[in-house]
Amino acid sequence: MRKGRIVFSLILIGVGLYAAYSATGWKFKAALFPLAVSIPLIILVTAQLLLEIFSKGEVSDSSGMDLEFAADVPPDVARRRAIGAFLWVAGFILTVYLVGFPLAVPIFIFSYLSFQGRVGLPLSVTLTVVAWLFFYGLFQRTLHLPFEDGFIQTWLGM
Amino acid sequence: MFDAFIEGLFLVLQWKAFSLMMLGMALGFAVGLLPGIGGAATLALMLPFIFKMSPAEAFAFLLGMHAVAATTGDITSVLFGVPGEAISAATVVDGYPMAKRGEAGRALGAALMSSLLGAVIGALALALAIPVVRPLVLTFGSPELFMLSVIGISCITSLSGLGARGQLKGFAMGLFGLLLSTIGQERQSGSLRFDMGMMYLWDGLDFVPVLVGIFAIPEIVDLAVRGTAIAGERKPENLKAGVMEGIKDTFRHFWLVFRCSAIGVFVGIMPGAGGGVAQWMAYAHAVQSAKGAKEREGFGKGDIRGVLGPGAANNSKEGGELIPTVAFGVPGSGAMAILLGGFLIMGIMPGPDMLTKHLAITFSMVWTLVIANIITVLLCLLVLDQLAKVTYIRGGLIIPFVLLLVFVGSYTANGQIADLIVTLIFGLLSYFMVLYGWPRPPFVLGFVLGKVIETYLFISVSRYGFAWLKHPIVVLLILVMVIVIAYPFIQQRRQGPKNPAHA
Repeated sequence: MRKGRIVFSLILIGVGLYAAYSATGWKFKAALFPLAVSIPLIILVTAQLLLEIFSKGEVSDSSGMDLEFAADVPPDVARRRAIGAFLWVAGFILTVYLVGFPLAVPIFIFSYLSFQGRVGLPLSVTLTVVAWLFFYGLFQRTLHLPFEDGFIQTWLGM
Repeated sequence: MFDAFIEGLFLVLQWKAFSLMMLGMALGFAVGLLPGIGGAATLALMLPFIFKMSPAEAFAFLLGMHAVAATTGDITSVLFGVPGEAISAATVVDGYPMAKRGEAGRALGAALMSSLLGAVIGALALALAIPVVRPLVLTFGSPELFMLSVIGISCITSLSGLGARGQLKGFAMGLFGLLLSTIGQERQSGSLRFDMGMMYLWDGLDFVPVLVGIFAIPEIVDLAVRGTAIAGERKPENLKAGVMEGIKDTFRHFWLVFRCSAIGVFVGIMPGAGGGVAQWMAYAHAVQSAKGAKEREGFGKGDIRGVLGPGAANNSKEGGELIPTVAFGVPGSGAMAILLGGFLIMGIMPGPDMLTKHLAITFSMVWTLVIANIITVLLCLLVLDQLAKVTYIRGGLIIPFVLLLVFVGSYTANGQIADLIVTLIFGLLSYFMVLYGWPRPPFVLGFVLGKVIETYLFISVSRYGFAWLKHPIVVLLILVMVIVIAYPFIQQRRQGPKNPAHA
């Protein structure tokens, strides 16, 4: 965890340095605010990094006034499940890119319920139909939200 | 004046105006529940439909819709950790942990009742303040508004972590949020900043995909990791008792609700700040009101006061925002700017006429805010039992539906796949922020306020050089900021050995 905290601090410092360096090439008006913000950011995160490296003993990961992840799941299981969850999210976005929202919604809902949620086929199909009707009825028919065609439809000229 | 007050009530209670208000409320209810589709966007969509309405009907319709969206936005914040509205994000911080603890009913009861009280206080402020608010608004120029925004960030950063190191992280995250708000075209010089050659970034990062990514994705991942229902393996709470407890909590902490409502009204009056700031300032005030570090530790883990403060401020700021809009034609937010369009469509010019010729219409707005909120809260209380049961459905069944809402909401920002990618990137960032103990609220507030702060700073420096730092109200606000930052340390020092320091 300590290593992760150090890497995260280094990334923040890197972002601050990139911002400050980029801002030096801009007009004064455009550069003033990013410089005024990025320099103290670099200083504060560097201070935090030094405290992290040189402080003795384990430091709490709690941010005080924010969400805390479940502590009752073993770390390796938690890591594996978190990666899995992010892969599902990324998979949904990829499906939207490939086939567009109207098709991606039933594909994603059915796949998630069947493979990840371990829901039986009849319930998976029912919930998928309900989700699609909700999506179609509210977002397409009522709100008329414009959804782009997917890459595949565009490629096939459909 | 009293006659106009009563006439305003009858204008709203006419069957056509009342029916249109109910229709607007139904739309606002749905919009409030859907992440990403904001109240302002819906106001804009509905504006063309008011052409054939009378002014009282049009404002009953539009305000009924707008007032309700803020109230129902809290529902998804509590149940799923997904802010239904951008202005409901602060409710997630304590409302969602309460739902995870099996206290969704109590959190929802508190959120709804504090919203109702906030709305009533905001409406009263609107009724009372119009004749006297002019000097206050005219006293606040760009330097004062800049300082007010900085205080907003200071409030939340100074309270976002435990001890000195927590503050350091809080301020760093506030700055990080401010930095990311500078992405895109700079307004004064037209220069492109951090656009990485992508046209998508020319307009900057949209608030909706960022906010949804920051607050919704880590909560969904946590739910997947736990592999249980949102409320865990707990036995279902007695929902009716929970809701009643939440309502009682509102009155137990009545003065906190009152103060947070006053914060909402004040922030609402100040142009440009908006609900995003009001909720966090109210949250920070709720944290600061806690007696000692020990009591403050409960915030972020499901403290009822963390739900009451933002709930009240969200709704009271509606009345506050209407004050400059109605009295001077200066909209306090994007939604109010759209409402101003409604005034013009109706052939009404905001300003002194609203206090003389159209006073009954002005009071009809006050009544709409009150009546719409009362009806919404009563209707919500009737279905709350069913809503709260959602937290006992296992995660595997809930997650795909929540993800659907999250990504459709994000997509509505610009209608591009890039919005979804932004949501994922900020979801990842937020996940690591939570994992490594970097607080998210200051980041979000910095991001929301970034553009406003930069504009006010630019105008202040261009107009006054550095002399604006000597303006009496600016000096006063700087002192307030110093006190806000120092207060947790002073409080910690006072309690000394009774509460060991959190370093």
